[in-house]
Amino acid sequence: MSVLRGFLWLLVFLLLGQTLVRLFHIPMPSGVIGMLLLTLWFGYRGGMNTDVVRISQPLIAMLALLIMPGVVEIFFVADQFSDQWAAILTALLAGTLLSVLSSLLLMRRYLPQSAAEGNSRSADHG
Amino acid sequence: MGDWLERLSQLPQQWFDSPIAAIALTLGAYFLGIRLFKLIRRPNWCPPMLIAAVVIAGVIALLPIGIEDYNRGANWLMLLLGPATVALAVPLYQQLPQIRALWKPILMTLPLSATLAACYAVIIAAVMGAPEDVLASLAPKSVTSPIALSLAEELGGSRALLMGALLTTGVTAIFGVEWLSRILHIRDPRLIGLALGINGHALGTVRAFEINSVAGAFASLGMSLTGAFTAVVLPLVWHLFY
Repeated sequence: MSVLRGFLWLLVFLLLGQTLVRLFHIPMPSGVIGMLLLTLWFGYRGGMNTDVVRISQPLIAMLALLIMPGVVEIFFVADQFSDQWAAILTALLAGTLLSVLSSLLLMRRYLPQSAAEGNSRSADHG
Repeated sequence: MGDWLERLSQLPQQWFDSPIAAIALTLGAYFLGIRLFKLIRRPNWCPPMLIAAVVIAGVIALLPIGIEDYNRGANWLMLLLGPATVALAVPLYQQLPQIRALWKPILMTLPLSATLAACYAVIIAAVMGAPEDVLASLAPKSVTSPIALSLAEELGGSRALLMGALLTTGVTAIFGVEWLSRILHIRDPRLIGLALGINGHALGTVRAFEINSVAGAFASLGMSLTGAFTAVVLPLVWHLFY
């Protein structure tokens, strides 16, 4: 039951986010506004609701699964972009590697060293 | 007998009348993808999601149903994207003290990183002669899918191409972060997490949680800030050019 109560919390904050987005024409998805509101709410209460913590873990793990159905469609509309594939793939692969490189360099330059230089790589589970 | 065969041939169509079959197919393919992924020794260029998407596409191609039939059902599953995005408040709140201590360097580097993530891809594709609708589908490639979908719609891009771009970007970012951080001797989980979240959206964030919870929280932070920043800035900049 606790998981369902947590889910209700998430839905309520999602609806709150939706309300704000509609009322103030915020150019962001309601989920992101809901997430920020919930973070503020936790801050206001000075702690997290255990029901929400319990539902959040499986849901966050599902985020990758939730992209998949959208990906399937690309195999069926591929002809539409048949003369663009070289440009698309180069842009995605080279562009992403370049942006990873620049963000790593930027962050290393400006982020102060942490005391707890963690290298604990727990076994992956997914 | 003929009657029975006819009923049998209509079955696939009827399964996909309700969303149950599409959801079952998606979950089944997901677990199959994970199993195959482990079987071929976890290559980091081919994530379980890609295997699963190929499996689903194969099943749809074999059955006498169309991609629209599948999408109609799978949209029910996509509804969970909303609550799942809200759920990211939990890791975000847990890391709030860390984030508060670092807000200056984060505020200095993150907008630039997020801008570069979109710019590199759009510039490369534009130089290679891609038309406007392709550019519009590539620009939000590093943004988490609920935001990216609404952005691509606003800019006039293709939903299918964007989702493909999201997957490719996520995979490349995971590979890139692990490869480049090894070369650059970066072991700080906060830095690796931020890089994964900024460049690799939800896929990178899920990967960061596999490394450890600090990396995961910083990845959620990178992902949500990149999303919020891009959601505001990209439409404005885009309409200057197109």
